[in-house]
Amino acid sequence: MTETLDFVRGPLFLMTFGFLVLGLARHVFLRTFAVVRALRRTPCRDVPWGRVARKTAGWFLPVRHVLRGAPLMSMASIVFHVTILVVPVFLAQHVFLWHRGLGLSWPALAAGAADFLTLTALGTGVFLFLFRMVDRTARHMSRFSDYFLLAAVILPFASGYFALHPEGSPLPYETMLLIHVLSGELTFLLLPTTKLAHVVLFLFDRASTDIFWRFVPGAGDRVAEALRGSPKGAEAS
Amino acid sequence: MSQTATEPAVARTGRKTTARKYPWYVIQPVERDRVRRFLEAFAAILRYTNYKPLLDQYVRSSAKCSRCTATCPVYEATGDPRDIPCNRSALLLDVYRRHFTISGWMKAKLTGDPGLTEATIDEMARSFYRCTACKRCLLECPMGIDHGLLTHLGRWILGELRIVPKGLEIATIEQLHGESGNTSAILPHALVDTLEFLEEEIEEMFGIPIKYPVDRMDREYAFFPAVSDFLMEPETLMGNLVTIYAAGDNDRWTIGTGYYDGINYGLFYSDHVLERVVKKVVAEAARLRAKKILIGECGHASRSAKEFVPVFGGEQARPVVNIMEYTWEKLEEGKLDLDPDIVTEPVTYHDPCNIARSGWILEKPREILKSFCRNFVEMIPNRTENYCCGGGGGTVSVDEIHDFRMSVAGRKKAEQMRATGAKYVVAPCANCKKQLRELIEYHELDMQCVGLHDLILKAIRIPGAKPPEARAEG
Ligand code: SF4
Ligand code: SF4
Repeated sequence: MTETLDFVRGPLFLMTFGFLVLGLARHVFLRTFAVVRALRRTPCRDVPWGRVARKTAGWFLPVRHVLRGAPLMSMASIVFHVTILVVPVFLAQHVFLWHRGLGLSWPALAAGAADFLTLTALGTGVFLFLFRMVDRTARHMSRFSDYFLLAAVILPFASGYFALHPEGSPLPYETMLLIHVLSGELTFLLLPTTKLAHVVLFLFDRASTDIFWRFVPGAGDRVAEALRGSPKGAEAS
Repeated sequence: MSQTATEPAVARTGRKTTARKYPWYVIQPVERDRVRRFLEAFAAILRYTNYKPLLDQYVRSSAKCSRCTATCPVYEATGDPRDIPCNRSALLLDVYRRHFTISGWMKAKLTGDPGLTEATIDEMARSFYRCTACKRCLLECPMGIDHGLLTHLGRWILGELRIVPKGLEIATIEQLHGESGNTSAILPHALVDTLEFLEEEIEEMFGIPIKYPVDRMDREYAFFPAVSDFLMEPETLMGNLVTIYAAGDNDRWTIGTGYYDGINYGLFYSDHVLERVVKKVVAEAARLRAKKILIGECGHASRSAKEFVPVFGGEQARPVVNIMEYTWEKLEEGKLDLDPDIVTEPVTYHDPCNIARSGWILEKPREILKSFCRNFVEMIPNRTENYCCGGGGGTVSVDEIHDFRMSVAGRKKAEQMRATGAKYVVAPCANCKKQLRELIEYHELDMQCVGLHDLILKAIRIPGAKPPEARAEG
C-alpha cells in the first residue's frame, strides 16, 4: 500500500501534473495561433479588444447574469466554481506540498474555513448533478459525459474531505488518500482533453465569437469551385 | 420579399421540381448521396473560411448548462427539447466532432457510431429554419456560443445541397442571375415609374415638387433601401425623400438604376451569396462615384452592408450609413423641423435584431421619435435585449411557416407589443414590418406598424410647403 501510495504521490503525480500544464499550454498556444491566422485571412481586423476583454472579465464572476436564466443553477454553479478553485490551491495540506515541491509558499485557509468551503463545493456539485437529472430542460440536454465529468470533479473533494476526517470515513485513511490522489490525477488528465478545458479556453470564448465570424473574401467562390465535381445545382445558390 | 414580386421567378426556375419535403418548399433538392455531399461541402467550407477554429472552440465549450433556454423565444414558446439552442447547435457540432476531429474519429471507431445520416440532415433542415438567428441566446451563454452564427453556417452547408426554402432561393436567383437583378424583380423602368408616382403623391401632399435624384454622379450618398420598399412601403420612401430634401441635401444623394436593392439573403444562408450581393452594392456605389453607401430602413440590409462591405468590397469599399443615423444627424444640426402636435397617439419602437443586438443603433431612432412624438413608450425588454419580431433570419420570407412565425417565434413579440398599449409600433426594417403586420392581424392587436420615416412624413414642416395639419386634413 505504502509503495503504491508513494508511486501515486511521486512519479505519477509529476507525470499527470506535467500533462496538465503542457496540455493547457497547448490549448493557449493553438488558440492564439488560430486567432492570428484567422485575422490574416480577412481584411476585417478591427477587433474591439477592449470590449471583448471587458465581456470576458464580466463572465469571470457573472453575478449580474444570475437572475436572467436558471437562477438557482447559476448561483450554485458560481459558488461551485469558486470553491473548487480556491480549495485545492489554498488548503493548508496542499500549500505545504507546494512549498515542499516548488519552494513557493502562500497563506493557507484556516481548517474550519477549508472544511466549510469543501462541503460547499460538495453540496453545490451534488446539486448541479441532481439538477441535470431532475430539471426537464437540463435533462434533455445532458449526455453521459456531462454527468461523468461533473462526478469526476466532485470525487477528489469528497475523498479529500474524508481523508482529512478519518473519523467519519467509510474507508481506511490510506485507501481514502489513494483515491483522493488518483482522482485528482484523473482530473489532471481530463482537464486538457475534455470540456473541462474551458478552464483556459474560457479566456477565448468571447474573443472566438468576435473573431472567427470574420469572413474570408473569395471563400464562397473557392468552396463552389471545390464542389464543382458534385452534380450541378449548388452553383445557382 | 413580396409574394407578387417573386411569382414570375417561380415559373422561370421550374415549378415542376419544387418539392415540399420540409415545412417549406425547396427548388430542385438534391436527392442522392446527400450524406457524402454534405460532408464534402462541410469540408470545403472548413478549409476556406474561418469557421474551423470557431467550431474547435465551441465543441469544447458547449456546457449544456441550459441558461440559453431562458432567452430563446422559440424554446420559450414550444418547450420542445429540439428547440433548445444548445441542442440545435449540437446537431452541427456533433457532425464536426465526429467527422473532422481525431478524437471524434477514434471514439466513433470504438463505439461503431455511423456518423452523419440522412435523418440528421433532415433534422437540421427542419431545425435551422426554426431559429431566427436573433442572437438573443448569446446574451446569457456563459460560454459565448453564438447560435445565430451556427445556424447561418448550418444553413450554408445545407444550401450547398440546395436545401434552402424556396422563398429565399428564388429571390436570390433573380438577384444574382435574373433580368432585374434584384429580389423583388423590379426592372429599372418600373423603378423609375414608381419613383415618379411617389413624386406625384408628394406634390399632392406638400404642394411643392420634390424629386428623387436618379443616377446622379459624384454624390455623397448612393441609396439602397430594401427593394421591396418600392412596392410595399411608399410612405417610408417618401419620408426618406422629404427628410433629405428638408435637410437641404437633395443634391447630395442618388438612387442608381444599375442596382438598387439593399436586401441580402446571403446573410441568412450563404456566405457565397452574401459576398456576391455585397459586391453588387459596392459596384453600383463605385459606378455612381458616391462617397458613401446609404442604406434604407432595413435591419439586415444595414448589417450586411455595415459588416460586409469592408470585408468583400476590396478597393471599392466605402463607409456605410443607415438612414436613421443620417436623419438623427440632421435633427441634431437643427435642419429638421418636426411638428410635435401631429403624432399624439402612443408610439413604441421595435429594435430590429440586426442593428440592435450588437449595440449599433439604439438611441438615435429613440431620440428622433421622442423629439416629436409626445407619447413614447418602451417595450420591455428593449435595445440589445429586445425580442426578435419572430421573422428574423429570413424566415419572414418563407410563407409556408406563417403559423410558426405567428404562434411560436413571434408570440413573445406580440405580448410585448400588446403590453405597451401603443397605437403605432415603429419598425425600421422591411423584414420586421412584414412580420409585425402579420402579428398584429393574427393576434388582433389594435395598433399599426409603420416605419420611422412614415411618421416623419406626417410631422415634417418644410418652409413653403403645406403644413402638417393641412396635410392631415387633406
Ligand atoms: S438565435 Fe434567437 S431563435 Fe436562434 S436559438 Fe438563439 S435566441 Fe433562439
Ligand atoms: S447557455 Fe451556452 S453553454 Fe449553456 S446550454 Fe446554452 S449554449 Fe450551451
